[in-house]
Amino acid sequence: MTAPAPLETTGLGRRYGRRWALRDCSLRLPQGRIAALVGPNGAGKTTLLHLAVGLLQPTTGAVRVFGRSPREDVEILSRLGFVAQDVPLYDRFTVQEMLVLGRKLNQRWDDDLARSRLRELSIPLDQRTGTLSGGQRAQVALAMALAKRPELLLLDEPLASLDPLARREFLQALMEGVAEDGVTVLLSSHLVSDLERICDYLIVLQASRVQVLGDTEHLLATHRTLIGPRRDPAAVAGVAGVVRESHTERQSTALVRTTGRVLDPAWTVHEVTLEELVLAYLSEPTASTLPGPAVRDDCMEGVQA
Amino acid sequence: MIWLTWRQHRAQAVAGAAALAAVGAVLVVTGLHALTMLRNSGIHGCLGIQSGDCNELVNTTQRSFTGLVILAVLLMIGPCLMGLFWGGPLVAREIEHGTHRVAWTQGVTRRRWIGAQLAFVVGLAVLAGAALDAMASWWIHPVNATGLRFSQGAFDVQGIVPIGYSLFAVALGTAAGAVMRKTLPAMGVTLAGFVALRAGILQFARPHYVAPLTRTYSAIIGSEQPSPLTGDWVLKSGYVDRAGHFSSGLSINLNGCKGSNLQCAQSYLAAHGIRGYDLYQPAGRFWLFQGIETAIFVGVAVALLAVTVVWVRRRLS
Repeated sequence: MTAPAPLETTGLGRRYGRRWALRDCSLRLPQGRIAALVGPNGAGKTTLLHLAVGLLQPTTGAVRVFGRSPREDVEILSRLGFVAQDVPLYDRFTVQEMLVLGRKLNQRWDDDLARSRLRELSIPLDQRTGTLSGGQRAQVALAMALAKRPELLLLDEPLASLDPLARREFLQALMEGVAEDGVTVLLSSHLVSDLERICDYLIVLQASRVQVLGDTEHLLATHRTLIGPRRDPAAVAGVAGVVRESHTERQSTALVRTTGRVLDPAWTVHEVTLEELVLAYLSEPTASTLPGPAVRDDCMEGVQA
Repeated sequence: MIWLTWRQHRAQAVAGAAALAAVGAVLVVTGLHALTMLRNSGIHGCLGIQSGDCNELVNTTQRSFTGLVILAVLLMIGPCLMGLFWGGPLVAREIEHGTHRVAWTQGVTRRRWIGAQLAFVVGLAVLAGAALDAMASWWIHPVNATGLRFSQGAFDVQGIVPIGYSLFAVALGTAAGAVMRKTLPAMGVTLAGFVALRAGILQFARPHYVAPLTRTYSAIIGSEQPSPLTGDWVLKSGYVDRAGHFSSGLSINLNGCKGSNLQCAQSYLAAHGIRGYDLYQPAGRFWLFQGIETAIFVGVAVALLAVTVVWVRRRLS
């Protein structure tokens, strides 16, 4: 019996009035992964994260964090780190006081870690958080989340309001923070380019449904861009499905899912980047790549090996 | 949690203490003035005496305290302000600023969070309510001495009811904030709800906590009539005739009357058996009524606090 996954959802759905913010979401985030949760605004990313930290209750299905419901469960809450969207902090508190808050409200709290992180970033502890820059606020929130020594770290659009330099610094701090302990990370963003370098697992949400789910290496290995004469790319040997195709008078371009190597000499085959892959799926809402149970198990074994 | 709650609300607590100190200063000055007025009024000599002159003197003294009654109205607003500024923002501001996403994802359950927040604000309201109460009770003492202790307005600022009102106000503010999730509308609802329940209870419930008593007395001017100094709360005053018909005033036809008008009127009263009539709550019921009224407001407050806890734990999600 393996340990329960850091995050597992089954048939998870959440409705606000008549509108479904998240629907029929089943996923399992393997331990130690750094997962990108990608999707356009309003796709349900925040809803999924809020369900995972117990801020929201599911309308349908269930969410399990380390095998248990995160709601009103101190043990689970203690193992979770969360950086909420727009980085809410008590504006009238100093940075120092935010750290006191963390220390008082958590059994597990590494004060030295938080302080040394903030010192390295030269964030003054006696300054009110309301007067900090966006980048500094995000760093304070990250330092607080990491000081909990979480086993699962969830971040909701932490990069959204940051300039490129602050983004790089934030991701660097994040990677340093989670490097040693095998922390599982789920990071949402509406841009995948920021996350490409750091994440090894991808969840694409669109229109309240999970569209793509899987190990990024596996996804990149099984997707190709084909350029060739104007023809239906679905008929090519080795192609399992066409995600997106476009045709000019003489030429067809397609991003396809493959089952093996595409050897047809009529087609030029290119590897895809994660960004191209995500954009292709997002522009074709009907296409999806979800691992069946077998594929998912393969994935898991690959991770644990 | 205690540290967080104190850190979040200390500014409000300090502002409340400053406001109480300012109110205290006003009460000391006006209270001393009222004491002097009472001493100079000469109504001490009227205690236990039932005479028309004394009653006239007492009524004059009571009227001289009208200015204080206006201050008493201001004191009645105190608990409402606690509800607006301590209760209203308690949950609503967290949600408006999104900080509930910080507070509720630390290693503390929502139940403990809301428990600590409510304990703090309830404690604050009880303390401030008791302080306001203690100051007002000293301040209103000269007014009580003229027999107005049980009257509307005086009753409302002394005894134990101000604590009940304060508790109710913060409970209402907090519940409104939790349900509405916005501070300003919650404050509006708190104001409306507070005024509605206070006025409703005062007008329609308080006079009937216990069935009022009646008494009749000679309607002839200068005869023995109940002294206002007894401190009874007179709900209705007027005249009844022999048949028991009530009227709030008298019109006596003096045409064709022999002798002086006074004699004429007296013979008219005697002929019809007309006597003065009071419907009243006796002064001795003051503490009973204080207890009943406090129990009502504390009961409503407890229900509202329960709504808040349930709402924070179940509905805000």
